[in-house]
Amino acid sequence: MNRLLAVLILVVTVTFVAIAWLQSGGVARERMQSAQTPEEAVRLLLTEAQQHNFDAAYARLENRAEVDKSAFIRDFYGSNGSLLTYAALESFDVWGLHANDHEATLRAKLHYSTAVGPLDDIRDLKAEHDGSTWKVVWPTTHAPKLAPQVIPVNYLRWDVINRGAEDDWGVQNVDSPQVRIVSMNALQRADRVVVLGEIVNEDTVPAYVNVGATLLGQNQQELAQETSFDKISHTLLPKQVSPYRIDFPGMRLDKIKSVRMDAKAMLVPASADPVIEVSQQRLEADALGKKILSGQLVNQSGQIVNIPHVIAAFYDANGKVIWVSDGYIEQELMPQIPVAFAVDLPDDVAAKVQSYHVVVNHYDRQSS
Amino acid sequence: MKTKAIMRRALLAVSAAVVISVPASFVTVHADDSLPKVSLNADNLGPRSIEELTSKVVARDYAFAWQTMAEALEQNRPDLLDGYFTGIAKQDLAQMIADQTKTGVRVRYVDHGHKLDALFYSPAGDAMQLRDHADLEINVMDGQKVIHSEQVNLQYTVLMTPGADRWLVRDLEVAPEAKP
Amino acid sequence: MRLFVSTLLFWIAAVVPSLAAEVHPPSQVLAGAAFSMPSSGAGQGTLYLIGSAHLSKRQVNLGTDIEVDGDDVQHAGRYTVILCTDQCSASEFYVHPAGPDRLSLLVHPSRVPVSNPNAISAVAVVWDVYHNLEISPETVKFTVNPDEHTSLSEARTTNNGIAWIRLTSAAKSGVVKLQASVGKVSEIRVVQQVASDACNLRIHASSESKKIVIETDPVRDCSGNFVPDGTVVSFTMTDSAGETTVDVPIKRGVAKVEMPAHGHARITAASGVVTGNELNLAGGGE
Repeated sequence: MNRLLAVLILVVTVTFVAIAWLQSGGVARERMQSAQTPEEAVRLLLTEAQQHNFDAAYARLENRAEVDKSAFIRDFYGSNGSLLTYAALESFDVWGLHANDHEATLRAKLHYSTAVGPLDDIRDLKAEHDGSTWKVVWPTTHAPKLAPQVIPVNYLRWDVINRGAEDDWGVQNVDSPQVRIVSMNALQRADRVVVLGEIVNEDTVPAYVNVGATLLGQNQQELAQETSFDKISHTLLPKQVSPYRIDFPGMRLDKIKSVRMDAKAMLVPASADPVIEVSQQRLEADALGKKILSGQLVNQSGQIVNIPHVIAAFYDANGKVIWVSDGYIEQELMPQIPVAFAVDLPDDVAAKVQSYHVVVNHYDRQSS
Repeated sequence: MKTKAIMRRALLAVSAAVVISVPASFVTVHADDSLPKVSLNADNLGPRSIEELTSKVVARDYAFAWQTMAEALEQNRPDLLDGYFTGIAKQDLAQMIADQTKTGVRVRYVDHGHKLDALFYSPAGDAMQLRDHADLEINVMDGQKVIHSEQVNLQYTVLMTPGADRWLVRDLEVAPEAKP
Repeated sequence: MRLFVSTLLFWIAAVVPSLAAEVHPPSQVLAGAAFSMPSSGAGQGTLYLIGSAHLSKRQVNLGTDIEVDGDDVQHAGRYTVILCTDQCSASEFYVHPAGPDRLSLLVHPSRVPVSNPNAISAVAVVWDVYHNLEISPETVKFTVNPDEHTSLSEARTTNNGIAWIRLTSAAKSGVVKLQASVGKVSEIRVVQQVASDACNLRIHASSESKKIVIETDPVRDCSGNFVPDGTVVSFTMTDSAGETTVDVPIKRGVAKVEMPAHGHARITAASGVVTGNELNLAGGGE
């Protein structure tokens, strides 16, 4: 009887272990240990990268001799405080573009969760048949390096000394900056009302701005209230213009009689640097056929910009703002090194766009 | 004999009435939790004209100020003043509460409403002066005993300044022209 | 007879309150000034002095003058005096401000563009030494010192303790001092008069190896004042590679930027709502 019980316990234990192994993707893992197809090779590599098992992932590369391991890791999880350093690879999709017996081209869509929301990264990868298995040819990106040098900066910065909390009322103080909403447009999109436009700092000092909108119904009752949140460049230097966009999910424009706008501005310490050039801007379609505004960012200062954020305003033929898009750049901006960016826009809007204006917001470790 | 009995009953009735009158007045002045009525007339306001939203907010916040002041004095809680008072008005009322705590005497307001006349709105919108015609019942209590009670119409000179999300009472003084 | 005595006692009991001790304060006193109030009655009583920001309670001898300390009447407004023995009697008096001693001077804005009519406002609120609003009419003198040698003055009478004035900013940028004074009290505020929007924004370009250097002329407003450093000038270059934009802050009076050259290029500049001249470059130079 005792022996029977021991056997029973053993059988149950083995069964549970087997179930757990199956549930954790053990079969797939085992099958992919020796990637029989190009897709398996990419999936295996990405799975190992997702688990931060970079040694194993790196071993899957066909072109290890050309790829620096630290650069390979950097491709997944960033460096220098960039957005990817605050990200986790949640999942990925892989599909083939074309293949033959010796090599194949695949497209991988990597889904990251980041400090500023989800981020998708699309990469085209090659795989080669190496004996009995397929291996991935990792794209070799030789990041341009800037020669050691001293970049002179005429540092321009504003500091603020406000009235003390215990000071009497009416003592000398500095006023909040004067800002003005220069345009506002309310649009009906499929599932939401979008309020967008531009705001300018009319003052001679920097302003920390935020735009709020309140939707008012037929009887002037408040229907909804929202702010531009991160769809605005919050710190505006004197005479600088920023687009803003405020989304009201689930609202209908025909229920709204008017919109009450509210621009708030605070006096904040700020620096005039870094200056970021936005070059080679053009409207085009991406690999998936979506309309995008693409270009390059060049950090003209000597400091690293950790997380760049691009906000673009699109205008119709009358100069009216008809859309505002934004996007975070996963890569940091090293001094003088161009970094590509792209922000998408709806197809129906793209057909009407005559011009656009891009501003670059930035979040830096030094200032945070 | 019959007359004597009537007289005794009358005296008892009067005594009873005197005894009952103290708790009755106490009940009458029991704190009114509803917001006092405040109306604002800005017809003669200058030099800046008042925005529609501001006129609503000023009246609303002044009502809240009186409500919280009455509660703060009633409960000897200076922390309640933080919401709608600032500067010298808050300092004065905090001192009043400290005096109440020290002496055991309390001032109770039964608020019957305020008619505000806006007198001055600064060009930059950072100060507004108002005249308040307040209809009040004021009860002074030493411990649980009401030592003084009066119905008054007082004129207050009020200075309000904008805070982060509301208007705050900065100065609140009874004008000497007031007729009690 | 018994009925008569009972009735008499009843009426005496009813009338006694009207014979309670009383105090007779002056109808008005100055803030912070000590005074005395005659009282009636005999023996001891409790005196309550209640203002809007002061409350005191003490024992007093009836039938004498009751002294009130200046510290007890520092706050202007209505005071109620209650004197209690077996019964309580109340009277009231007003405390008036002690005369101008403090000024709250609200001057806005702290920065103002030059040549802006009625752009500066100054509001003076007059208080006494105890921070009571001085509501009797007082003359406030507003003085502006555009520079060390010039001084302009204007007097205004307070209404309910407040006097105000509007001023036009000067054509020249710089600091202006604004003073308000009443009696021996004065307050000074400083307003920074800053250049207005850029006027005649002009750019020029030169080639440096594979780059174009674009620079503004010194950026001034229409009155000739330098636009403050830090003001953003947006440069836009359109060439075969697409559009390039750079927001450049003015430093030392000019805004300067380097852009890559790709053949023929059209370059424009703008600062806020002001646009500058347009450059058309063939092959990377002017």
